[in-house]
Amino acid sequence: MKDELELELPLGLKTRDQVISIRETIPGGAISSKAIHDPASHTNVQATTLPNPIENSSLKSSGSDHRSDTVAGWLFCSPWIVGFLLLFAWPFVASLYWSFCRFDLVNPPQWVGLANYYRIGAEVGTGKGYGLALWNTLYYSLLSVPLSVVMGVGLAVLLSAKVPGQKFYRTIVFLPSVIPVVAASVLWLWLLDPESGMINYALSWVGIPAQNWLVQARSVAEPETMSVIGTGKLLGSKDAIVLMSLWSVGNFVVIYLAAISNIPASLHEAAQLDGAGVMRRLIHVTIPMLSPVIFFNLVMGLIRSVQTFASIYVLSEGTGEPGGSLSLISIHLFLSAFADLQMGYASAMAWILFVILLVVTALLFRTSRHWVHYRVAG
Amino acid sequence: MMIRTLFMVLLMHLSLGCTPGRNSTESDFRQPEEVVFWHFWGGEDRVVVEHVATRFNQSQSKYHVRPIAMPGNNLNAKLFLSVAGGDPPDLVNQDDPVLADWATRGLIQPIDAAMSGTESEKLEKWLFPAAKSLSMYDGQFFAVCNGLDIRALYFNRTALQEEGFVAPETIGELDAIADHFAGLNSRDSNLPLGYLPDSRRLWAWSYVFGGSFLDPASNQLTIDSAANVAALNWMSGHYERVGIDRAIAFRSGDQSLPGKTFPLLPVQGDQNAGRYVMMMDGQWRVRDINRFLAQRETDNLTMPEFGACSLPVPSDDSLQPRTNAGWVNGNVFMVPAGARNPSGAWEFIKFWIGFNDPAIAAKTCEAGGWIPVSPEVVQTDSFQKYLKREPLFASFVGLAASPNQFPTPKIPGALKLQRTVNAAAYDAMTHPDKNAVDLLRSAQAEIQTSFDRMDFDHKEGSK
Amino acid sequence: MTKRWGSTLLLWFVCLVFAMPLIVMVSGSLKTPEQLARDPYSVVPESPAWSNYVQAIGSMPFWRYLSNTLILCGGCVIGTTVSCAMVAFGLARVPWAGRKLLFALVTVTMLLPWHITMIPRFVLISHLGLYNSFWAIIAPTFLGDAFFIFLLRQFFLTIPQSYLDAGRIDGLSHWGLFWHLVVPMSRPALATVALFQFIQTWNDFSGPLLYLNDPQKFPLAYGLERFVSSYGDQTHLLLAAAALFTLPVIMIFFAAQRAFVEGIATK
Repeated sequence: MKDELELELPLGLKTRDQVISIRETIPGGAISSKAIHDPASHTNVQATTLPNPIENSSLKSSGSDHRSDTVAGWLFCSPWIVGFLLLFAWPFVASLYWSFCRFDLVNPPQWVGLANYYRIGAEVGTGKGYGLALWNTLYYSLLSVPLSVVMGVGLAVLLSAKVPGQKFYRTIVFLPSVIPVVAASVLWLWLLDPESGMINYALSWVGIPAQNWLVQARSVAEPETMSVIGTGKLLGSKDAIVLMSLWSVGNFVVIYLAAISNIPASLHEAAQLDGAGVMRRLIHVTIPMLSPVIFFNLVMGLIRSVQTFASIYVLSEGTGEPGGSLSLISIHLFLSAFADLQMGYASAMAWILFVILLVVTALLFRTSRHWVHYRVAG
Repeated sequence: MMIRTLFMVLLMHLSLGCTPGRNSTESDFRQPEEVVFWHFWGGEDRVVVEHVATRFNQSQSKYHVRPIAMPGNNLNAKLFLSVAGGDPPDLVNQDDPVLADWATRGLIQPIDAAMSGTESEKLEKWLFPAAKSLSMYDGQFFAVCNGLDIRALYFNRTALQEEGFVAPETIGELDAIADHFAGLNSRDSNLPLGYLPDSRRLWAWSYVFGGSFLDPASNQLTIDSAANVAALNWMSGHYERVGIDRAIAFRSGDQSLPGKTFPLLPVQGDQNAGRYVMMMDGQWRVRDINRFLAQRETDNLTMPEFGACSLPVPSDDSLQPRTNAGWVNGNVFMVPAGARNPSGAWEFIKFWIGFNDPAIAAKTCEAGGWIPVSPEVVQTDSFQKYLKREPLFASFVGLAASPNQFPTPKIPGALKLQRTVNAAAYDAMTHPDKNAVDLLRSAQAEIQTSFDRMDFDHKEGSK
Repeated sequence: MTKRWGSTLLLWFVCLVFAMPLIVMVSGSLKTPEQLARDPYSVVPESPAWSNYVQAIGSMPFWRYLSNTLILCGGCVIGTTVSCAMVAFGLARVPWAGRKLLFALVTVTMLLPWHITMIPRFVLISHLGLYNSFWAIIAPTFLGDAFFIFLLRQFFLTIPQSYLDAGRIDGLSHWGLFWHLVVPMSRPALATVALFQFIQTWNDFSGPLLYLNDPQKFPLAYGLERFVSSYGDQTHLLLAAAALFTLPVIMIFFAAQRAFVEGIATK
């Protein structure tokens, strides 16, 4: 029983982390950006590589046991094996094949070679269609992911301060991230209304002019947007969804909080003895110690932001409007596939996105050597 | 234990809820066959639609129509998914430009199959020419039009008379009125404009100017035809006389945007900035005008008089202008491929359009303010009485019978054609440095590319 | 002392920012349309208009949506718990050759974006004749979910081998070990999986968007989106509907917080 109690911590942590994925329910079902390993302390991941008790027992087992083990193993794992073949392996092959076809879901696919990829290439050149979607996705990810890291770490440091009511504060910050995404979107649709929304009202307190949140396609952070500078309405629809995504930053905060609590107090004490102030301890102790978790959240946040679908669908009423500004890849793909019946084109763009994600993730892993500090033994 | 009970209850529910079929819970064999009907109507229209379905269900016992409102933007996607998924509705209502696209893809089935004997031939003759052109594709009834949208020139008769004008019959008269009010407006921007064309109305003006967008004989696009260019240049001329920037600013409160008031309706006092004395719009605006007048009456205000006339014609000799012409569109019923009950759908269509009993359709059209699809419905006593009460609406119904009301060409990708032409027209009108011929020509090239592609794709595949 | 005050003030500000949207959602849902138009942001409604909730429930087949949601949740919870527990046991506690490769595959599938599998899955589901039935959403959960398998495997690995060896000596088969030993010992972990699958299905929007077309079968999440399309201008009803939809999740969150993650929040 004692063992079980100790287990509560990593397990609970994962479950919290799991809440992340719940906010973004996605077409197609089960796969989403779920946490893979316990982000709190990297040592936990090593649980999988620890000497496995089974190995010992299997050494003892006789030949007939071995066969029954194999049969049992296959049987126990059969649901997922079937699932893998039906829900992953076949879809991967099929969508790769269809990406070379013209396919409208109703009539049989027709081989068109690289036509869909050429079309995507042309669209990237002109900034329409996939080009626009790619830009929108890039904008959203590049803004929301780093901001969520900065905000997440900042809030976690703030919330780790030992003050009365700490638990209350943590709950409040975390709460928005459990709100169902459709309900949250309905709420934000109202909050972001340019005329009667509360966000603009709140901005007016600090003297910021009202922004055309979900109405204005372009924002000052985009090229070709000199037109919005003079108006004072600098923020557009994509900034609105970034804002909304930051509201649910709580799930990241929880992960950082757990990681902060795992930083040995001795490190802080040693730094304090060396005369380091609060800021210096933050920069030289806390952030380096958090770097594995930051890295983890960066990767997962990226994959998650690319997959954002339901909130944008509700906020743009299923169109990706205004002016195509909310046509992120997920929405553009859904509409191309099911509103325009261009499955081949949609499959091709999914594969291109997949390759981009692979490359970016690989690059992140590359750079991580230089700034992620893995603790050797806890 | 509790878990086991819950599990059993769930399994039971699942077995009920998980069968894709309908009516599986009822065992009564005399139960009417269900006809699932998807539509996009909301608000007051939805009430009318549901009432039609109720009346149909009460009128006979063989079928039961279940209307399902599918509001929002992705009715098409939902429909495609349901056809591909093998469980589509039996009847769906959509705007006409999708017809050719859906028919060539095999998403909808010809309704002729559900018609008995001579019904198909009779229907061809029974419908208004405009309604027939919206219903047929490839010589078959892939759709049946259930309501026409006709556009005419609305005008504020009182405001015209005050300045010494009457409703225009020629383009020249229209231009004179527009010039006069543009002059007044340039001195006092609180006064309305006479007329300012909307780029999306190039369709209507092209047909008036004798143009077309597709030559039916050769199946060639004619977007850059001389009459189309003349119409577009004439429209741009109106932007220029007001001043492009002012015209754009004026238009920014577009009259067709939902939630905006119809800008033909004057405001009390002289705050008539952004309003018009004349504008082209559809019959649904009659409702707005009636409501406006009723409000004025209760407020004890002066009652301006409104009228609607057919689009004025150019007197240019080089053109072959059409009278009573315009761009017509409409809602059409379609039966998706794989629908379970096409016969039930056809029975309901007949009931709705008044094929067997025009009086029924007359009632529906009166309730919804819709234009009937057949002269027979128009000629019923009750509808004639209705038209007497609604002279403004009557002028639209009159235009419905005209042979010069043309729809968007029935080609796959017609929606794209519509959007591309509209964009080219907007470009031409807002950029004086750009040339109408070039813009229409490049629109034509763009459409031709995708037209060729689709042509190749679907026609080869399905025929 | 001033530093303490400073951070407390900052904490209050942060909480206000994060809580405000929820507060105005609840207060807005209790305002009459007139008050909402006149004074949208005041926290306390003049006189709570509970009728908004009655009206919101009346404007859609709320109970039908709710029961559909519960059926879907129940089915998915059963599917996920059963399948993931089995697979996790097979990966963690059955010594056989393929399990390492299989486990690697499980982790890899967690990283794949849904974009690629969405269309083929739809084709598969419709070829199986599951389109427009709850099975379209429930059936895949019976084939396991990578994350939950991972989670349960980690948990199962911590069960001391001596327990299993004892079970073996008592003559239990693999199934016996699983059913009589591992499952009873793993109740907290299984409950966690069930809970999160429940919330995931409760919130699922894209499943019904893709697979269901009959309003009689819509769950709340999709019904709410349809409600936005029909009643987009009636903010008081939208807020009431959104609050109704959110309430159970928040209740579960608070209950579950105590049950599962209290340790973290306080530590």
